[in-house]
Amino acid sequence: MNLLDFQCCHDFSDHFRLGVAFSTQHRFTTIFGPSGAGKTSILSIIAGFVRPAQGLVRLENRTLLDTARGLSVPVKHRSVGVVFQDALLFPHLTVEANLRYGQRRRKGQKRAVGLARVVEVLEIGNLLKRYPRNLSGGEKQRVAMGRTLLSGPELLLMDEPMASLDTPLKSRILAYLERAVDEWDIPTLYVTHSQAEVRRAADWVVVMENGQVVATGSPEDALGQPQPLGWRNSTGPVNLVRLDRVELVDGQLKGRIGSQVLSLPPRAPSSAMPRFVQFSPSDVLLSRQDVEGVSARNHLRGRVCRIAPGADGVFVAIDIGQIIWSEVTPAAVAELNLQPGSDIVCLVKTHGLSLVD
Amino acid sequence: MEAALPVLARYLHAFRLQHGFSNQEYGPAIAGSASEVAEGQLLDSLLTAGEWQALRLSFLVATCASLFSLPFAVAVGYFLARSKSRGRWLLEVAVNVPLVLPPVVVGYLLLVCFSPRGPVGMVLADWFGVRLVFTWWGAVLASTVVSFPLMVRAIRLTFQGIDPRLEMAAQSLGAGPLGTFWSVTLPLARRGLIAGCVLGFARSLGEFGATIMVAGNIEGQTRTIPLAIYTLANQPGGIEKSWRLVALAVALACVALAVSEWLERRRATDESA
Repeated sequence: MNLLDFQCCHDFSDHFRLGVAFSTQHRFTTIFGPSGAGKTSILSIIAGFVRPAQGLVRLENRTLLDTARGLSVPVKHRSVGVVFQDALLFPHLTVEANLRYGQRRRKGQKRAVGLARVVEVLEIGNLLKRYPRNLSGGEKQRVAMGRTLLSGPELLLMDEPMASLDTPLKSRILAYLERAVDEWDIPTLYVTHSQAEVRRAADWVVVMENGQVVATGSPEDALGQPQPLGWRNSTGPVNLVRLDRVELVDGQLKGRIGSQVLSLPPRAPSSAMPRFVQFSPSDVLLSRQDVEGVSARNHLRGRVCRIAPGADGVFVAIDIGQIIWSEVTPAAVAELNLQPGSDIVCLVKTHGLSLVD
Repeated sequence: MEAALPVLARYLHAFRLQHGFSNQEYGPAIAGSASEVAEGQLLDSLLTAGEWQALRLSFLVATCASLFSLPFAVAVGYFLARSKSRGRWLLEVAVNVPLVLPPVVVGYLLLVCFSPRGPVGMVLADWFGVRLVFTWWGAVLASTVVSFPLMVRAIRLTFQGIDPRLEMAAQSLGAGPLGTFWSVTLPLARRGLIAGCVLGFARSLGEFGATIMVAGNIEGQTRTIPLAIYTLANQPGGIEKSWRLVALAVALACVALAVSEWLERRRATDESA
């Protein structure tokens, strides 16, 4: 049985047509696409804020919307929690009252989410007596998450919750989100236009453009198809690599990816160990043989698995245990005779890497 | 202008006779009789009994008009702020008409509707035995109608300033539409509600044209401060005698503003604590 079935066909007043159908069995699904693709509209329909001309929303065995049968469960009975991009805390209530707002009105007792545990996991204990206008962006977003969790949702909808935060904060909040989702095991639908967030968090991704689904699959599969993604007018794929282990060797941070080791840039000793590294495909050089006498510290062995022409260059996907992308010129592809299956060495400068919590 | 007013008074007198009620029928005065007020010697030295009555009456009428309007103004203001229906402009016009009509015309129309032979007045008289015109309730009615558009305007603007997505958030957290309104929309709109009430109160204090049409100018019963000033000023040497009432009107308006300011600030410090 699917966790979520979604179908919808609706003409919005501004000549935007949303025609989407997808199903997911995965705990953490992202909807990915450029702004204006219709991602937020999907969440609005699932939450019940918008009633489409035709549509079906089924959450496990519960039908929330079926226009063919004239069925539409009212918003308050859907048990679908929403975390909005700009938090939308109630400004006239304290943080604690905001948190209790949903808890007081909770219907099902399926998931026992307690206030004390939410406060602990999201580390918002010192904020309880404050009013939302005295909170920073990241604090607001954590409280908003807590408020939604306490309403006992059976599905969590997140509408670009990190979009208004700056990068270091994003990964910290994302880490809180991951903890919360792990702790309470709540199915989550996460909307974003950030590839890094998709690669990091998602089990399954629905890629959208212009009101339509253009690809679905695991992040590697779905994001690896350049055509539907509109790489023509964006920056291309983003590399986000999960580090299996991080250790300090002779004062140098080393990250392990399977059996390979990555030299990481230094970082303030007090901060936590990074869990991911992010880098641009244009910072990845390719070589057919391992070379000596180059300054790049990281030599990662892998195998070419896909070659995708982009707007200016060619994007080459290399399997090093995880997929990473390199951007090279078409001439280089020809000269190196790159083909799927070719063995290759990827050279990455340590200072091209940015660490992500 | 000056000459027109006595004509109006004569017209009213004729109207009263024509519709078959005289001064004796007005029933017990609600705003307190002259003898009652005269008890306080100290107060007496400040204002005359007539002036006290006018003050009490003005205050009572304006308070009742504001409180009576408030729920309707909230309902209409919210509807106008949120509704996308096409027929909305009809309501909008209907609400705002008293704002652009001369108050005397509003009063005339109310008089026609609510006089015991008018369409509404007949129902009130026959079914409930109630008469509004030429009682202080008539003054409340006139003030309510005239100040209503101002209240709606202030309240509607506040509702428009509240992000509708806050209401969506409340519903997704399990609140119904009514619960959302009580727990989120209304508390967030309280500044606008206070502003609307003060505006309505102040407008009611100043109400003259519609009041004199609907309620007449009966001492102790419907003679509010503006009517009392008008009556006094029309007498020989009355301009000099009316200054106390003028000062009273100014003071009352200032008190209303001060109270609203105080309510606002108290709320504001609550939140930043």
